[in-house]
Amino acid sequence: MQIRLSRDIGSAAFIAIACAFANTAILVPANAAVEPRALVAPVADYKIYVTGKVRELVTDTRAFTDAVKAGDVAKAKALFAPTRTSYEAIEPIAELFSDLDAAIDSRADDHEQAEKDSGFTGFHRIEYGLFEQNSTAGLAPYADKLMADVLELQKRIASLTFPPDKVVGGAAVLMEEVAATKISGEEDRYSHTDLWDFQANFDGSRKIFELFRPLLGTDDRAFVEKVEANFATVDKILAKYKTADGFQTYDKLTDADRKVLSAAVNTLAEDLSTLRGKLGLG
Amino acid sequence: MTPTSGPAPAPERRPPSAAMKMAVAAAAVLVVAGGIAFYLASRTARHEARDGGEAVTTVTITGRTCEPNALTVPAGRNTFRIVNASDRAVEWEILDGVMVVEERENIAPGFTQTLTAKLAPGTFTITCGLLSNPRGTLHVTPSAESEAMKAAGGPPPVAFIGPLAEYQVYLTLESAALVEGAGRFVAAVKAGDLARAKALYAPARVSYERMGPVADRFADLDAAIDARAEYFERREQDPGFTGFHRLEWGLFAQNSTDGLAAVGDKLLADVASLRQRVRTLDLPPEALAAGAQRVVERIADQKIDGSDNRYAHSDLSDFEATLAGSRKVVDLLRPLAAPLDPTLAADLERQFGEVEAALARYHQGDGFVPYDRIGGDERAALATQLRDLAAAMARLNAALGLS
Repeated sequence: MQIRLSRDIGSAAFIAIACAFANTAILVPANAAVEPRALVAPVADYKIYVTGKVRELVTDTRAFTDAVKAGDVAKAKALFAPTRTSYEAIEPIAELFSDLDAAIDSRADDHEQAEKDSGFTGFHRIEYGLFEQNSTAGLAPYADKLMADVLELQKRIASLTFPPDKVVGGAAVLMEEVAATKISGEEDRYSHTDLWDFQANFDGSRKIFELFRPLLGTDDRAFVEKVEANFATVDKILAKYKTADGFQTYDKLTDADRKVLSAAVNTLAEDLSTLRGKLGLG
Repeated sequence: MTPTSGPAPAPERRPPSAAMKMAVAAAAVLVVAGGIAFYLASRTARHEARDGGEAVTTVTITGRTCEPNALTVPAGRNTFRIVNASDRAVEWEILDGVMVVEERENIAPGFTQTLTAKLAPGTFTITCGLLSNPRGTLHVTPSAESEAMKAAGGPPPVAFIGPLAEYQVYLTLESAALVEGAGRFVAAVKAGDLARAKALYAPARVSYERMGPVADRFADLDAAIDARAEYFERREQDPGFTGFHRLEWGLFAQNSTDGLAAVGDKLLADVASLRQRVRTLDLPPEALAAGAQRVVERIADQKIDGSDNRYAHSDLSDFEATLAGSRKVVDLLRPLAAPLDPTLAADLERQFGEVEAALARYHQGDGFVPYDRIGGDERAALATQLRDLAAAMARLNAALGLS
C-alpha cells in the first residue's frame, strides 16, 4: 500500500498527544494476560486503515461537492451515500475529533433551529437540500465547508496519536450508537440511505475487533465466536438489501429483519464493551 | 456523528406511512435505550459497590446550560450524576480539547444517568445539551493518586502504546517514501541522466535519515544502504561497497553514471527489504529516546566533519532529516515527560528550535548550501548546539522512568 501523508508533524501532534496522555495516564495496570507492547502493532495498523479511509473520503468528497456545486442534482444524490461510507467506517474514533464530527456529520436536531440553523452544516445539511428540497440551490457554501472540513480531518489524523483505549473502545461505542439511535433511521432521514452507513459502521467496528482478536486468549474463544457470529448475522441481513450499486432504501427493511439486526447490534455493543478490559485497557 | 438528541420527530413533509414507521422505530429505540441505560446503570452501581466512598458530582442540564457550569474534582476515579432537566434528549461529554474523554448518550428528558471516569489533572470542557449551547469547564486537581503516579517514577506501560504505535506508523510511511524516493533516484541513474541523478541524491536520503533512531535495529541493511567507503578494505574499489555512498562516489567524484545500474538495483532491493523489516519492528519504549539521542550525538561527534557525504557535500540536508526524525520521537514522548519534568520538556522544545533555526540559515533553493562552504567555526558552533540537545535528550528516559 502506498501511503502519502503530510510530513508536517508540528504542534498539532503535541496537542493531540497531550490529549492521549491525559486519557491514558491514570489507567490501571494492564491485564497481566496482555503485554501492553502487543497492542502497538494493531493500533498502528488501525491508524494505517484510517489513513486509507480518509484518503478515500477526500477523493470522494471532492467528486460529491463538485457535483453539488455544478448543480447536478441527480449525480450529487447518487454520490451522497457512497461518499459517506469511508467516513462511517472510521466513526469508531469520531470521539477523537468531536468538533469536526459535529461540522461534518451532525443532524438537524443537534441544532436549536434544526434545518434552519446556520450551524447545521456537513453531509446532512446537503442531504436535506438534495433529497428533501430536491435542489442544489444555496448548497455551494456547505459543499465548500464540507470539503474544507474533510481536508482538515485528513491533516488532523496525520498528526494524531491514537489512544489505544479509544480505538479498542470505539468498536463498542459505535455499536451502542447504532443500537441507541441510528437503528431508527434518523441518520439519513431525507435520503433513507441508512443501510450504506450501517454496512460501513459494521465494517469499521469489525476491523478493530479483527485487529485485536489475535491478542485474546483461549479463554475468550467463546466470546470471539459469539462476536463473529453476530457480525455474520448483520452481514447476512444487510446482504439481502444489496443492489447492483449499493443498498435499497431503509424503509424496505422488514420489521422481522429490523428486529434481528437490532438484537445483533445490541449484543455486539454489549460484548465489544468488554474488549477494553480483556486487553488490559480497562 | 453522535447525536445530541434522540430519535428525530418526523419532518412535516414526511408521508404518513414513513411517520408511522418512525414512530414504531422510536418506540423500539426507547426500549433499547432503556435497556442500555439499565445495563450501564447496573454496571456503574457495581463499580460503586466495589470501590465505595468516591465522590459523586451532580450536574443538571437545563435547556441552555449546565448547573453548575464549572466543576472541580480531584484526579482519579470520579462519578458524575447527570440530570436532564431540559425538554430534549441530550448527551453529556467530558472533552479534552476536541477529544471526548467520556460521554453518556441519549439521556431522556427528566432522566438521570451516571458516568464514571478516571481523570488526569488538567482542565476539560463539558458539553451541555445542544451543540450551540455554551460549554462548561471541569477542573481536575492533582490528587494523592496522581501524585503517587508521579512518585512511582513514570507513566504505566500502557501509556507508551500510543506513542509506539504512532512511531510505527511514522516508520511505515517513511520507509514507503524511501522506496519511492530511491526509485526516482535510481531511475535517473539508470537512465544515465547525471544532472538529475545528482539532484535527486540528497532528497532520496531524507527518509532514510529520518529513520536513523532505529537504524541499529537492521545493521545488515544499514551497512548495505549507508556504509562509507572507509569501512571496506579496498575503499571505493571494494565490491562490498554498495548503497547510497557508492552511487554518490560515482556521480559526484567520477562525475558519471557508468557501472552504477547494478548498484542502483541493489539499493532498491535493500530499501524494499527494509520496508518489510520495519513492519515487524517491536521496539521497547526506552529505544525511542535512546535512538533519537544517539543520532543527534553522532552528528556532533562524527558527521560534523562532512565525512558522510564527502563527494556530494549534501550533509546539511542529512542533518535536517536526522533532526526531524529525532524530533518526531521527542514530540511523541514529551507529553508523557512534561508532567514529570516540565523543565526538560521546555528545554527540549527550545533546543530543537535553536538547532533548526541554525540549520535554516543555510537553506538555498530547494536544498542547502554545500557543506564544504561551511567554515570550521560555524561547524564547531553547530556541534556544540547538537551536543547540548543530545544531552537534554539523554535525560528523557530518566524522566520517563525508563532508564
